Amino acid sequence: MAKKTYDLLFKLLLIGDSGVGKTCVLFRFSDDAFNTTFISTIGIDFKIKTVELQGKKIKLQIWDTAGQERFHTITTSYYRGAMGIMLVYDITNGKSFENISKWLRNIDEHANEDVERMLLGNKCDMDDKRVVPKGKGEQIAREHGIRFFETSAKANINIEKAFLTLAEDILRKTPVKEPNSENVDISSGGGAAGWKSKCC
Amino acid sequence: MEEPPCREEEEGEEDGDEAGPEGALGKSPLQLSAEDVYDISYVLGRELMALGSDPRVTQLQFKVVRVLEMLETLVIQGGLTAEALRMERDSLRKEVEGLRRQGQPASPEVNLGPDKMVVDLTDPNRPRFTLQELRDVLQERNTLKSQLLVVQEELQCYKRWVSTVRRAQDLHVGGPEFNPQHHMHRQEQCPWYSPTLPPPSLK
Repeated sequence: MAKKTYDLLFKLLLIGDSGVGKTCVLFRFSDDAFNTTFISTIGIDFKIKTVELQGKKIKLQIWDTAGQERFHTITTSYYRGAMGIMLVYDITNGKSFENISKWLRNIDEHANEDVERMLLGNKCDMDDKRVVPKGKGEQIAREHGIRFFETSAKANINIEKAFLTLAEDILRKTPVKEPNSENVDISSGGGAAGWKSKCC
Repeated sequence: MEEPPCREEEEGEEDGDEAGPEGALGKSPLQLSAEDVYDISYVLGRELMALGSDPRVTQLQFKVVRVLEMLETLVIQGGLTAEALRMERDSLRKEVEGLRRQGQPASPEVNLGPDKMVVDLTDPNRPRFTLQELRDVLQERNTLKSQLLVVQEELQCYKRWVSTVRRAQDLHVGGPEFNPQHHMHRQEQCPWYSPTLPPPSLK
């Protein structure tokens, strides 16, 4: 393999309480599909999607984390390598909204300082069961200076827009140079917990 | 103390009664009661009396009485001790049963701290693996997944390459100078293939 198939590789991370729909958001974006059966993510998983932005082929390596507390030590070791983090809550689940501050603190503790953050209020198709007003999501996003979208993986609302906006924000602060790495390096980032894949 | 409290021993007692005072002498020393000692005393007294009033017999009689008194004391003492031990055994038995009955559901938690967990070893779904083992398995899974993605991508590219070459051959535009790369859309191009080299074989 003499060359790679993309110009830039962006590593994104999805975090948030268990059951808010992180995996569904990612599945909608990567495979344009939706599954109603709830299968709790075990630890960490990832998907790849290549997009084209400003004439550049950008490979998005998107890490999907388990929201359950029992996987916390595994998932936090993946924060370090992320260039963008999507924090997802469920507009029908007040607890998942209250926990946003906890997740933001996790980002402060474990992620790179210049990581691009974004807040998503998922399941916005279920307006009859809504307990978190859109304004509250907008307010907390404004307080932390981050972008906010209400999304629905089921109804395919704002999913692609959210990912492309996050990628654009990362692209904007990426210095214009050719990356050295080839193909998919799935290292989980720096720190003692980091590791290198054996491929490539 | 004349009645041994244990029911099993009653039979022997009855046998002794049937045999009269003489029967006491045929008993096992461990089953002897104070009553038996009195029976023995009666038998011995009768026989000594039959020997007449020889002063040596009188001397012997004193010693025999003394020995019988000692035997009486030992038998009574043994009976009391046995009875006390039996009572203690019965009360301990009751205590154990009581503890067992009320303590059954709570007993596993008795010596556990607040951060401890009880694992049911008969549960087929009990936790078995460590966090580190899970971490290793996930990393291996993700490594293999990324390798699979690379291979799938290469395969796609190879297939496009082959079909482009075939199409070109059908149109008779092949030849050594032919570079399929120029006949593919940018999205389809296989950047790792050098134009001068044939596509890698799929071994």
